[in-house]
This record gives sequence, structure tokens and C-alpha cells, in this order.
Amino acid sequence: MNKTILLIEDKPTLLDTLKSLLELYHYKVIVAANGAEGMEQARLNRPDLVISDIYMPVLNGYELLEMLKKDDALCNIPVIMLTAKTEIEEIDLAMQKGADGYVTKPFVFKNLHAIIKKFLH
Amino acid sequence: MPVVILSHPKEQVLFTNKPAETLFKKITNTKRGLSYSDIKIILPDTLKAGGSGEFTNVECQIPVNGKKTSLWLEISSNTVTQDNEPYTILLLADISDRKIKELQMIQSLEKERSLLEMKTHFISMASHEFKTPLTAISSTMELLQTKLQMDNLLDQFYTHNISKISSEIFKLNTMLDEILTLSTIASNNIEVRKQAVEIERVIADIKYQYFSERKDDRVLNLKISGTPHPIYADRNQLSKIFTNLVGNAFKYSSSNPVVKIHYQKTRVVIKVTDNGLGIPEKDMPYLFQSFFRGSNVDSIEGTGLGLSIVKDFVERNNGSIFVESKENKGTTFTIIFKYPDHIPAA
Repeated sequence: MNKTILLIEDKPTLLDTLKSLLELYHYKVIVAANGAEGMEQARLNRPDLVISDIYMPVLNGYELLEMLKKDDALCNIPVIMLTAKTEIEEIDLAMQKGADGYVTKPFVFKNLHAIIKKFLH
Repeated sequence: MPVVILSHPKEQVLFTNKPAETLFKKITNTKRGLSYSDIKIILPDTLKAGGSGEFTNVECQIPVNGKKTSLWLEISSNTVTQDNEPYTILLLADISDRKIKELQMIQSLEKERSLLEMKTHFISMASHEFKTPLTAISSTMELLQTKLQMDNLLDQFYTHNISKISSEIFKLNTMLDEILTLSTIASNNIEVRKQAVEIERVIADIKYQYFSERKDDRVLNLKISGTPHPIYADRNQLSKIFTNLVGNAFKYSSSNPVVKIHYQKTRVVIKVTDNGLGIPEKDMPYLFQSFFRGSNVDSIEGTGLGLSIVKDFVERNNGSIFVESKENKGTTFTIIFKYPDHIPAA
């Protein structure tokens, strides 16, 4: 059965492109445009993996990450953070808050896919 | 210099000189002589400083009577007792001009600081904002490539041109990172987080991370001699230093670059060598300046920011950097770090 990925990103173009890329590799993709929508989709669909941007309106990636990791039903879903910031501190912060992986923007899809595969296969 | 002698119990001015009279006429904004009540306005500040036997200095701002301006006075005072009666001697100086200049200087420094902060903030925001469309472009390129490949349409023409776009995106991204690093350096907002670092580990990591599995099959040769000894430096910055120098060595040569780490008694000497283009003699003095590029590297892309970042990071970590080069023979960058006397516990 196809694995389900919840993709959370507030930039529509990137969201659309990433969704298409993941679908080419036969993943089932659910999308959300911010952390709050993402949380709702996570509760509703129980995805196998979450990929989330950090800087988003309403509820940002860090806040979402904290909520996911505190939720007994969702805390085991691996979360990969996407960030435009390359500072070590930023990456450390994501890992401290419980992220399972991170990818800096712009990324090579092959690298992102390698991390996805690590969690899903 | 204006001088005033007072008797407090009698509330009398015992002595004033001409300059003191002139000064107080400025303050009281009248033409009459100086009285004890005129002096009273400066007494609270002066007497707080108290002091007997020795002169004490205070600076105070005195409003000019009936005007919206004020004067700055430096008051040197001493209270002496004679026949059980205290007398206060005041030596006064009008320091208004100096104070005004000081305030102007503080204000302009403050203004400059906030402008610099705004600039850094703007550059940081702009370079992050640029990355959003850049990410969308590169992902869309990959989407096209993947789809073409899956539909068996990815021929040499597409591959060639897609890789050209990808490589330009990569360059633009590197440039944004370098501008961001330099603006942080320029604003002095950069932190140096020193810790014990094994230099050969840093080089081995970047060799694996950036310089393995190259398309042109070239490799980085690493040679180590002497007894390994840690240095006290910022790991991140060391990594940036050597990523840049090794990157340059690959970029400006066609053979395998070499990194030699030589542990000596009190220091470690690291040499990054290539047998490439070399640096023309006349370019040497400008090599570490921002945006400077060698006169013989026209056809090779670069921002001219890398080496200025390298030099800054080497110096922040108390190292020194030297360069030897011969045109068409090659270049060696030598970096030296002294061992620390002791390494503070983390």
C-alpha cells in the first residue's frame, strides 16, 4: 500500500511542485498551507511521515512539531523540517524540538527522497 | 578659571573672581552681582559629591534662567573647616561645548549602529526571501527531469540543459549564503563558539560531505604527519574555511588537490595545495578583499567573497593565513593555529 505523506508549506508553488514530485514516486500526498491546517490533517489522516516548512503563518513549523511530539497518537510519526536558514543553531533547535530530519532550502530532491526512504522503507 | 568660596552657615559668598561672575551672569541671565542663592542651584550636585580635604569632581547640567537652554558645568569642590566653620571652595569650568559634541557623537554613533543593524537585517531577510523562489525553481526543474525520465524522454539535450540550470541555481544559492555570512561579519554579530577541535576530523568530514563522488573522479588527498593535538576554535567556521579553500583548489586546477596537516610541537600547520592556474603577482595584495577576483579567472564563476570570509574566520580563531602562488604552477594556502595552553571545560 502507498505510504501517506503530509506536506505542510505556505508557498503554493513549492507545495504544488513537491506534491507532484512525491506523487511521481507513488506516495499519497496530503497538503496543508500552515501548521494549524497541518495539525488538523495529521489528526484526521494519521500520515506515515510529515514534511513541514518552518516559517509559516498561523502556526509555524516549530509549534507544529511540539504539538505533534506531545500528542500520544501522533508522536511516533517522523517529521522532516524544511528550512531556508542554514545556521547550525536553527538546525539544532529543530532537532532539540524533536525533528527526525531536516533539509535546507533549496534542496536536491534526491537528498530529500533519501531521507524519506530512510523513514518509510 | 571661575572660582567661588562660600560659607554655608552664613549663606555668604566670600569670594568670586571675574570669570565666575561672568559664568553666573550667563546662568542667571541678569547683570547683577553673584549671590549665595545663585550658587544654590549647583550646590545639591556639588555637595552630594561631598569630600573634605580632597577636591572632588562632578559634571552637572544647569538650566539658564528664563531660557530653554542649559549649561554644562564641571565643578571641582572641596570643603575645609577653619575655626569650626565649613568653607567650600568651588572651581568651575563651562564644558557645554564639549558636552554638546559628546552628545552629538553618541547620537551619530547610535544612528550609525541602527543603520548597520537595519542593513544586516535587510540582507538577512532578502537572502532568505530569495531562497523561496529559488527552491521552487529548482524543485520544478527536478519535477520536469523526473517526469521526462519516467516517460523515457530524457535525452542528452534535456540532460545537458537541465544540468546547466541546476548548476546556476547552485551558484546563486552559494552567493546568497556568502553575502549573508559577510553581512553578519560586517555587523560584528558573528559569534565565535570555541571548543576543542580535531582538525583532521574537520577535513575528513568536509572531504566526505563535499568532495567525494565527484563527476570528474578527482579526489582530495589528505596527508597527516606528527602527533595529533586538538586546537581551540569554532568548528563551524573551521569547516567553512577549509570547504572554501579546498573548493577553490578543485575549481582552479584540474588535478587532485592536497591537504597536508603537520602537527608540530606548539602548533599545527595546514597546507592546501593545488597545481592549477595560480594567482598573478599583481593580484596578491588584493586577494583577501571582498568582491576581488583574480585577473586570470574570468571564465571561472565565483563571487569574490570566499577568501575574505576565510581570512576573517582564520583571524577570529587566532590563526594566521599565508599564500604562495606561481601563475600556471599552482597555489598553496598555509594556515597556522597555535595549540591552546589549556582548553576550558565545555
